Amino acid sequence: MTGATTAPRADLARPARRSRYSRMEKRNLPTALLFIAPASIGYAVFLLWPTLRGIYLSFTDTTAFNAGELVGLENYERMLTDGVFLDSFRVTLYYVLLNIGLQTVLALVVAVLMHRLTQSLVIRGLLLTPYLVSNVVAAMLFLMLLDYQLGFVNAVIDTLGLDRLMFFGSQDLVIPTVAFVNVWRHLGYTALLIFAGLQTIPDNLYEAGRMDGASELTMFRRLTLPLLRPYLGLVLIVTMIGSFQVFDTVSVATQGGPANSSNVIQYYIYEVAFSRSYDFGYASAMSVALLVVLAAVSILQFRLTRANTNDMA
Amino acid sequence: MNAITVDPDLRDNLEHPEPATTPPSGSGPRPRRFTWGKAVGWAVMIVMIVITLVPFYWMLRTALSSNSALPGGAADPLPVGFSWGGFERALGLATPQESLAAGGSGAAMNFGRYLANSVAVATMVTVGQVLFSALAAYAFSRMRWPGRDVVFAAFLGGLMVPTIFTLLPNFLLVRDLGLLDTLPGIALPTMLMTPFAVFFMRQFFMGISTEIEEAAMLDGASRIRTFFSIIVPMVSSAVATLGILTYITSWNDYLWPLLVSQTDGSRVLTLALGIFRAQSPQSAPDWPGLMAATLLAALPVLVLYACFAKRIVNSIGFSGIK
Amino acid sequence: MRKSLKIALAGSVVLVLAACGSGGSGTGGDSATGEVTYWLWDSNQVPAYQACATAFTEANPEITVKIEQFGWEDYWTKVTAGFVGGSGPDVFVDHLSKYGEFAQQGQIVDLDELIERDGVDTSVYAEGLIDPWVGPEGGTFGLPKDFDTTAFFYNTAMLDEAGLTAEDLWSADWNPTDGGTFEDVVARLTVDTNGVRGDEPGFDPSSIAVYGLGLNPNYEETGQMQWANFTGTLDWDYLDSNPWGTQYNFDDPEFQESIGWFYGLADKGYAPASGVFSEETLTQIGSGQVAMGTNGSWATNSFLALDGIDIGIAPGPVGVDGARGSIYNGVADSINAGSDKQDAAWEWVKFLGSTDCQDLVAEQAIVFPSIPSSSDKALEAFEAAGVDVSAFFSYLEDGNRTFLPPITLQAGEVNALAKTALENIALGNADPSSLTQANEQINALLAD
Repeated sequence: MTGATTAPRADLARPARRSRYSRMEKRNLPTALLFIAPASIGYAVFLLWPTLRGIYLSFTDTTAFNAGELVGLENYERMLTDGVFLDSFRVTLYYVLLNIGLQTVLALVVAVLMHRLTQSLVIRGLLLTPYLVSNVVAAMLFLMLLDYQLGFVNAVIDTLGLDRLMFFGSQDLVIPTVAFVNVWRHLGYTALLIFAGLQTIPDNLYEAGRMDGASELTMFRRLTLPLLRPYLGLVLIVTMIGSFQVFDTVSVATQGGPANSSNVIQYYIYEVAFSRSYDFGYASAMSVALLVVLAAVSILQFRLTRANTNDMA
Repeated sequence: MNAITVDPDLRDNLEHPEPATTPPSGSGPRPRRFTWGKAVGWAVMIVMIVITLVPFYWMLRTALSSNSALPGGAADPLPVGFSWGGFERALGLATPQESLAAGGSGAAMNFGRYLANSVAVATMVTVGQVLFSALAAYAFSRMRWPGRDVVFAAFLGGLMVPTIFTLLPNFLLVRDLGLLDTLPGIALPTMLMTPFAVFFMRQFFMGISTEIEEAAMLDGASRIRTFFSIIVPMVSSAVATLGILTYITSWNDYLWPLLVSQTDGSRVLTLALGIFRAQSPQSAPDWPGLMAATLLAALPVLVLYACFAKRIVNSIGFSGIK
Repeated sequence: MRKSLKIALAGSVVLVLAACGSGGSGTGGDSATGEVTYWLWDSNQVPAYQACATAFTEANPEITVKIEQFGWEDYWTKVTAGFVGGSGPDVFVDHLSKYGEFAQQGQIVDLDELIERDGVDTSVYAEGLIDPWVGPEGGTFGLPKDFDTTAFFYNTAMLDEAGLTAEDLWSADWNPTDGGTFEDVVARLTVDTNGVRGDEPGFDPSSIAVYGLGLNPNYEETGQMQWANFTGTLDWDYLDSNPWGTQYNFDDPEFQESIGWFYGLADKGYAPASGVFSEETLTQIGSGQVAMGTNGSWATNSFLALDGIDIGIAPGPVGVDGARGSIYNGVADSINAGSDKQDAAWEWVKFLGSTDCQDLVAEQAIVFPSIPSSSDKALEAFEAAGVDVSAFFSYLEDGNRTFLPPITLQAGEVNALAKTALENIALGNADPSSLTQANEQINALLAD
């Protein structure tokens, strides 16, 4: 919530008759509606409507080619007994934890370094460059670099006398590898987001801290982190939601393999809908499940980080 | 047209923020001596930069190699079978015969056209999304009105919708609007808003104290004018950041343009990269072409970044206002 | 900020208007004239079909053909989206593993009536090529374009160094128990990091410099890129009836033994384990770390282009009953049922299925067209280029077998199940008997 105003204004005073909204609030309504109009149209048409339609589809047996009929909870029942689906949730969860853990920590470190250590635009630009490469190409690039037999990285490892690592081809390492590729690509982006938040912290606070003899680390803990909370909360929620929906890297590099060990949920849904059985009904049901999980996770996070408030104002 | 009369002191502080104490704004304090902390910080930074850049070097090295030599020299750090072919094919300068002979696909590559298309789409999306999302974010954060929190919660809920959910219905909608195979058709779904953009801008708007608006409105300025003349400049670094990130995201979008675009008229650069991927189920991608095209595709955005970098960096210190 | 914002807004409005002005426009009206859109995935073949298109328009001036090519990975997404969105191609290259669903759902046109009406002679096609294109409930859904088989590409220098000749490969035999003389050849070709060959004492299977037989990372129910050349010599077929069978035979003991043998080569060190190479035998052989590998006739030109490596091609080994075997695959052209230019599309499809076009394709020496006279021309074209592709034709000779890949409904789902089962065997998570369980799952699926 925004901070309280300092000077009380006459029209904020509670009016005589009981009304849920103050007069000022009601007066704001037309302008507010104007402000949110274009975004609301976009939301309703391209987000809300497809979602509602998707939820409806999940109760039908629609395929890619035929409109289906309502079949009640059939798709959901199937989902709960589908070993591949349940497995894919586990795989996705594992991926999300790895990806978020690594990415958030690293991005925070990088953002703080960008803020306190050097103001160089060049370095900022350099760190952002992986984001300029499309997900698809990044996956192909690392497929080549991390190849067990023919990749450069393993050649270097070999020269160092160590054992080669099977990155994408190993059931154990495939998810960490996919996580690494995505961290590589998104680090600059996430760091930039956090960095934008860091810039709202006034420098004089750091100056004051220094004069009080606080070390960088202490200032980080006591000053930066608390003030960064809303932005960190935002970044965490967004990157977590994005992580759950990992697709491109898996689609290009592993196709869910080896033996379903990287079969993340979004990839499984896509396969069911567009290539395995063209079963839109079932795919929609799984998407709804994903949606519910994402909602639960986000709400939890929102509460935990109290990203709704801002200590600055 | 009434001019906005903002308290001159206030305006002065907005335009020339001066922190209470000495160091110039936008930078941290400058310790004079070497500290271990700094050394570690720099070490971490350098490692990050190296890990970031090695794959790019690899892209360059592969772009300058030739397809037939790549399997034999897979781990060679230098280009193998050095050739400009990759770039030629990426720019559409090679004839189909040359292309096929070099292991590429013989498909036509109209680089200039695809580049223009990508620029058009990315610009439409960025301008639209940032503007309209900022407007909405403002209403959500700095105005009180009935139903505000409910609507915002709904918008926020949009963040959680899996992209696969919206893909097909949006495809059908764009088709019904007759916008298939057009650039606006590609731009439309994200051109008005994304939940992320609204969320992002709102966080920044919340960080501004309300006194400035109060002052402006006391002086008779409308909300809209306050928005554009005062609030937005205060969060310009956030706007610039969102802008560049949106631009890049739109630039690299693959699946949606793939569905919407059929012909060259609406093909964007990322799709053109499809030309360099494996054409048949059991053949290899045209690595040099692919890497060259990726590097070339990244250039315009790098240029854009260079232009806006200062904006992204500069902060306006709040310290002087109180 | 405000001013630049205005400029940006104005700019984007202009862009939107400009973009609205361009963009595709359809020529509606008469379905026998106009522009027919034709989609294919193999970019190598675009020049050949471009030549066909030109010849076609000369013969039929009111119809033009627009060729669009999408890489394999995007191709089916686009085609499916095209069906769903009503925006797809008029004619497109179709694949045996995909067309079943399309036919059943009425997305592609049944050509039977048209064939009869225009008296198209379908016997001109090489034997057995048109049969798989008859749908699950009858009807013909494509005119065959080309055929392909699989064989073994090998590094001739490595063969020489091993003291072997091409004749050794051509005369090799195989059986599922000990791999026959074929395994001997593979062992001989394998060299470990100490220079010891696979059939010499002191051979170290855990440290290999050159693998005798490569492993394609394609795990599928057809086995086309992995083991089909071997199982094809057995008295065994994928299905109870092909096409459109509903019972797979993966529970056959001899089949399982063959699978065990094939993936077991990695344990012996003769072949790379799963995941060692992420790319196909083309790259594997090109890297100099693999001596020989399976691939299809469509890859011939890519193999020949490899720097510094001379390639030979040998057919699959002879089985217990003296016959070689290979999958005999073919693609065909299908017409989109949603096309508004059905007549023009049919004219184009007829042309594609005739020697007028197939001869042009043959000259390019890329694929083997479906009409025997044209594929002979292709054989000549390859020879003129100095390449002996007779290995691919060897299966057509008497005493050898060709067989269709398994064609059923729900091919995508079957593929996913088979892929997981086979991968698990290759990874060592399960042994070949697990195929029995996978078989049951697949049959249960097909029984629906």
